[in-house]
Amino acid sequence: MAIVSNVDQFKQSFREEARELIVDLESALLELNENRDDMELVGRVFRALHTIKGSGSMFGFEGLAAFTHDLETAFDEVRNGRLRVNAELVDLTLSAMDHIRGMLEESADEASAGEAGRSAILAGVRRIAGIGKRDEAQPKIVVEEPKLPKDKLEDWRITFAPGPEMLLNGTNPLLLLKELRQLGALSVTARMAGVPPLAELDPERCYVSWEMVLMTSASRDAIRDVFIFVEDGCELTIEPAPAAEVERDSPADRTARSLQEHRAPSSGRRNYDKPDNATSLRVPAAKLDQFVDLVGELVTVQARLAELAARSEEPEVAEISEEIERLTSSLRQNSMNIRMLPIRATFEKFRRLVHDLARDLGKDVELTMEGVETELDKTVIDQLGDPLMHLIRNSMDHGIEPRDVRLSRGKRATAAIHLSARHSGASVLVSVSDDGGGIDAAAVRQRAIERGLVACDAQLSQAETFALLFQPGFSTAKKVTDVSGRGVGMDVVRQRVEGLRGTIDVASEAGKGTSITLRLPLTLAIIDGLLLSVADSCFVLPLSSALECIELTAADIEHANGKHVVNVRGEIVPYIRLREHFSVSEPRPELEQIMVVETGEGRFGFVVDQVLGNCQTVIKSLGRVYRHVQAVSGATILGDGRVALILDPDRMVQDALRARASPRVGGSA
Amino acid sequence: MGIALEARDDAQLIRLEGSIDINCAAELKGVLVSTLGAGRKTGVTLEDVTYLDVTAIQLLRAAEREAGNCGAAFTFEGQLAAEVLTDLTLAGFDKSCFAEAANSEG
Repeated sequence: MAIVSNVDQFKQSFREEARELIVDLESALLELNENRDDMELVGRVFRALHTIKGSGSMFGFEGLAAFTHDLETAFDEVRNGRLRVNAELVDLTLSAMDHIRGMLEESADEASAGEAGRSAILAGVRRIAGIGKRDEAQPKIVVEEPKLPKDKLEDWRITFAPGPEMLLNGTNPLLLLKELRQLGALSVTARMAGVPPLAELDPERCYVSWEMVLMTSASRDAIRDVFIFVEDGCELTIEPAPAAEVERDSPADRTARSLQEHRAPSSGRRNYDKPDNATSLRVPAAKLDQFVDLVGELVTVQARLAELAARSEEPEVAEISEEIERLTSSLRQNSMNIRMLPIRATFEKFRRLVHDLARDLGKDVELTMEGVETELDKTVIDQLGDPLMHLIRNSMDHGIEPRDVRLSRGKRATAAIHLSARHSGASVLVSVSDDGGGIDAAAVRQRAIERGLVACDAQLSQAETFALLFQPGFSTAKKVTDVSGRGVGMDVVRQRVEGLRGTIDVASEAGKGTSITLRLPLTLAIIDGLLLSVADSCFVLPLSSALECIELTAADIEHANGKHVVNVRGEIVPYIRLREHFSVSEPRPELEQIMVVETGEGRFGFVVDQVLGNCQTVIKSLGRVYRHVQAVSGATILGDGRVALILDPDRMVQDALRARASPRVGGSA
Repeated sequence: MGIALEARDDAQLIRLEGSIDINCAAELKGVLVSTLGAGRKTGVTLEDVTYLDVTAIQLLRAAEREAGNCGAAFTFEGQLAAEVLTDLTLAGFDKSCFAEAANSEG
């Protein structure tokens, strides 16, 4: 039973790795379509196909491996200069990726479902690559003779020690060595020193390790790819081999090393913790979520301890409490960092979308990216795909003009869509920009009046006008297409972004293009906050938006003539009094505090009774009942057990401004 | 695959056939342990073997070492098939792993 579950686990691991490889492969294919002589891209495509095929075969996906075989052969022909990349080969390979995705999920019973489509793809690939009829009749996997590439050859010293479970998982290390040989000339020495005495030997465990020298033009990554599905469960090092060492590796030296090996103690155990061991670990997302939840609970309990320590007269209790607070803070920071992922994979997925949409819409569009290494919380990344997809579809369908219109406007025939990501304080800014026709503000306004969203005589700023685009069902498209125009997508964008506690900013210039920027929080789980009090109630303000704290005196109030503004070193700053906003009935104290915050609408003040200090805040959802409450983004449990609402400063300010302006303009983006 | 134990006058012969891999690793270990435990001369025939995986190689090597440590005779007999020998060499195993079988082949 253990063997079965291990095999299933490794099959699942293969599926996950293969999905990632397909994204990378699609990205490389689309880049290759633009730069058809780029041999590095050809190599990337070939290696990914080769890995999918080889590992697919290893983990029991024989159908998938056989299907990938001819694609790999075609790109091998390209690699060897016997075939040129063309649009048809790229399109067929992209279609093949769709089938491979399906084959990863389907059961044996479903395997014949897409066979006709797959056969058509293979027929096309064989025609282009000139793969003979003999091969067609026997599409079996063959082990190619090692090819010594003509580029600069390098020697790599590789050590490979399979983990204890590798054989049980159905992996045959000898097949990996065969695969390595395809990259170049391989010299292999098997090490048997780890084999324990017969009585202690677990017959299904691998004790052998290998030392190899590979002469190849392939990169370290290409070599590592051979081990991609076993890397987490083995010791693997790949280092450039100094020339002297390679020459020294004569049979005599091998014998000498073998003798030395015989003298070594054969414990049968390996050190999996040494620094040059495999440096990454694949962990199920659910386990990570559970870990972060537990850290969140710990933060809450730590707050209780701090509360207790503050009341205690024992100095030792205060000391321990501070120590635990410091450790909890480090643990929280580390757990948050573990969840951070680069946005690259999310962006790369859109290459395919842009390619397919451009073809369907008959437009030439070039997709460029910036800041792909920018990291975001996994939860944010997971939920970012849909909003970005809607923005890109909208941009391609409505923003970018048809080719003839672009030319008549003196623009390049090829339009540009630019995806970018960058950090800004505790937020990440993700933008989708195009060089299309821009948003027709007059048309948006007209449509809003027709739909009764604004009054005919309403004075709207540009930002307020563009915010209307995100209203449910709002669309200025003259016709509904397969791509967009129903006014559903932009509403979804708003909902998703707000669900992530983010905001949307639209900048557009008629005839020049549009840029939509999503401002998203770095994390959704635990934040640094400032604890504020109003009478008996407590509120948390995200520390990232807080600027300074000043006193609000009776004299300040009198000078403002009843207006909610205060003079901060010559700057007039409007403020919101939380006591009034949340209908707290107790009388206000003589001296109040103003927390000045930076919002999308500029500087604002929040008037409270007291600023109590910093607090690590575990964000808890308010639940479905309170999902329409706009001014707060959640709640947290304080050390003394009370619940504090977490303020959303941007939303509070927007609400206040909206209340002051036209009451008929709906929720802003 | 097949693992058979034959008794001779003063020795025991373990006859291996076909693919000797992880599927029969536990059985092979049991046979090797019991044979060596009996303290008699042991021979292992490899001539009908078509494939040896890592589990088989390490078991045979461990048995050979154990026999050497306690002074018991342990030998490989028969010719190792050329394909099997090629596989072993490509996987970096020294021919001396199965000295007699390899030598008799060569």
